[in-house]
Amino acid sequence: MIIEIENLNKRYQNHIALKDISLSIQKGSIFGLLGPNGAGKTSLIRILTHITEADSGKILFKGEPLNEKHIYKMGYLPEERGLYKKMTVKDQLLYFAEIKGLSNKEAKEKLKYWVDKFEIKDWLGKKVEELSKGMQQKVQFVATVLHEPELIILDEPFSGFDPINAQLLVNEILSLKEKGSTIIFSTHRMDSVELLCDHIALINKAEKVLDGEVNAIQQQYKKNQFELKYQGNPLLSDDYIVVTKSTSKDSANTCIIELKQTMTNNNLIEYLISKQISLISFTENLPSMEEIFIMAVQQKQQIN
Amino acid sequence: MHKIWLICKREYLSRVKKKSFLIMTLLSPLLIVFFYGVIFYFSFNQDLEEERKIVLINDQSSVFENNLENTKIINFQYNKLTDSEPKLLLENSGAYGVLTITKKEGSYTYDLLANEQPGLNTLSSIESKLEKVLKNKELEANGIDKKIVNDINAISVKLLTRKNTDDGIEKGNSSTTTIIGFLGAFLIYFFIFLYGVQVMKGVIEEKTNRIVEVLISSVKPFQLMMGKIIGIAMVGITQFVIWVVLVAALSGPVSILVMEMMHVDPSAMIDGKQVAGASQDAGFSEILSSLSGLNIPLLLGLFVFYFIGGYLFYGALFAAVGSAVDNETDTQQFMMPITLPLVFSIAIAQSVINSPNSSLSVWLSMIPFSSPVIMMVRLPFGIPTYQIIASMVCMILGFIATVWFAGRIYRIGILTYGKKPTYKELFMWLFRKN
Repeated sequence: MIIEIENLNKRYQNHIALKDISLSIQKGSIFGLLGPNGAGKTSLIRILTHITEADSGKILFKGEPLNEKHIYKMGYLPEERGLYKKMTVKDQLLYFAEIKGLSNKEAKEKLKYWVDKFEIKDWLGKKVEELSKGMQQKVQFVATVLHEPELIILDEPFSGFDPINAQLLVNEILSLKEKGSTIIFSTHRMDSVELLCDHIALINKAEKVLDGEVNAIQQQYKKNQFELKYQGNPLLSDDYIVVTKSTSKDSANTCIIELKQTMTNNNLIEYLISKQISLISFTENLPSMEEIFIMAVQQKQQIN
Repeated sequence: MHKIWLICKREYLSRVKKKSFLIMTLLSPLLIVFFYGVIFYFSFNQDLEEERKIVLINDQSSVFENNLENTKIINFQYNKLTDSEPKLLLENSGAYGVLTITKKEGSYTYDLLANEQPGLNTLSSIESKLEKVLKNKELEANGIDKKIVNDINAISVKLLTRKNTDDGIEKGNSSTTTIIGFLGAFLIYFFIFLYGVQVMKGVIEEKTNRIVEVLISSVKPFQLMMGKIIGIAMVGITQFVIWVVLVAALSGPVSILVMEMMHVDPSAMIDGKQVAGASQDAGFSEILSSLSGLNIPLLLGLFVFYFIGGYLFYGALFAAVGSAVDNETDTQQFMMPITLPLVFSIAIAQSVINSPNSSLSVWLSMIPFSSPVIMMVRLPFGIPTYQIIASMVCMILGFIATVWFAGRIYRIGILTYGKKPTYKELFMWLFRKN
């Protein structure tokens, strides 16, 4: 575990930002911090990055209570981006790296790697205000990771990225993970993290609604729903399955089936084949993060 | 300390490297010297620009006939007219104006008909010539010699001042000390404003760009604030040193150039001006001698002290204002209480010069809000050492107090967005825990 958070509380003058949050984040994983706007994600990040202090609770960084020296092992990309507009890209990146504890020499060496990787060599001497928005985003990302932090915290990293640059960013995040960095991802756009994250935590109104491994959560909330494409006699609902949205086109049928009682996917396929159909495709409809979030919030409200 | 140094370096380099810094730094002294030259030029040649004007005198009283002296810009010509003619004549002759003088029961009326509203310069020179004729006439009538009057007018008294000090008697010069004092005070005032506002803008930039969120996780708010204030101070000092050097280097040649441009042959100068020139030379050597009477190293040392002390004192306050708001338009309300004492001190400087040792002057030179400006005004007059030390101690204490105060507001302010805080909220920030 790189980060362990226990019973964290934070109150601002008029409202509660975090209420009894406990989380743990595995080293080398990508952790998604999900929740709507104003849920408390940024408050949590600000406490992690030492910008503000919690009212109560404990945070451990690799088993030690979080302190200032750990900050140098973190890289933080805030939600609202900002660079010094009148500074050149190079000066800016070196400045941020030095502020985060690198020597000037180290910073220059590390910069070389990222310059090649993001092909920003021609841009180094330009002022930030002369760059396009997408370029500025790249520069800011480099500023976040230049000092090779063990923990990278990205607040809404994809906002403002076009699809091509977003893909570039995804690849970079994955390669950073491969190199052993841990990444915390905070976003309200839950669809963007399903593919990327290993673990997630859902936060709503200052409280943790749910956390765990993405696959396990999806299994937990799955509706046992499958999308089928097949040839043969149309399927009908029976004791085991409910068939909905049945359509047929070009001698192929598609439908969605829901299980009335649980069975493994293997058993289901055997059962379907026994109905004298030939399967073209078989997909389990796992709930999206958004659906899971809504279900989890509703469950929590019912409990309260 | 390393962090403050890094921040300071960034603030300094990012400003000094800018093209606008170079342009402003080089251009400002040129502009100052240029304006100085222009003012100099016009003050000696105010009439040159105007065309010679012909004024027709329609003198019904015959008193002024052929008695008016021509000036550099006005030629008087005489022509008796009937009532209806002036307008016609003005249109036909191309003269500048027609001055009709009539006398009724011992008093004269003067009516100047011109194609435009005459300037003050023209009016006053015509008026003075008319007055001169009337005065001479009056003197003659009473049998007084003109020469006696001239002699009486030439009487002038000038006090030489000497100051009794522990080291003996020094030669003093009030006007020089006044100028030096006021110059120092104004420079400090100007510097505090110029660079204080830069500190504020810098803080607002970091805040609105959220740069502060990235930085503040690695540096303490206090380090960030001090780095910025010191860095900008270095920019100011750099700029100031360049200015002083440039102005000093350029002022001499430009003065000579202006003199040449004037094409004024000293022999062609009228008597009065030569006398004025001679007394100016004397004045200049007097200024030099009184300068040597002043304790220049002490003055310079204290100038630098109050220059920096005053800037740090106010710079911290400007930083606090910048941190409390989200954009520059919101700063107005908080700027008021900061700028008021500064403006007040420069406004009251004149009365401090008039009585440099009054109790008001002494107190104002102790309070750090006004002491940088007021002390500069008082210093050349010579003040007791204990007052200087007391004022310096107050300045340092004041600086520590505003930095503490600003630091408390700054640490909360830079991370607080949205509504502009009220004074009450700012006060609460002072004592809030992190």
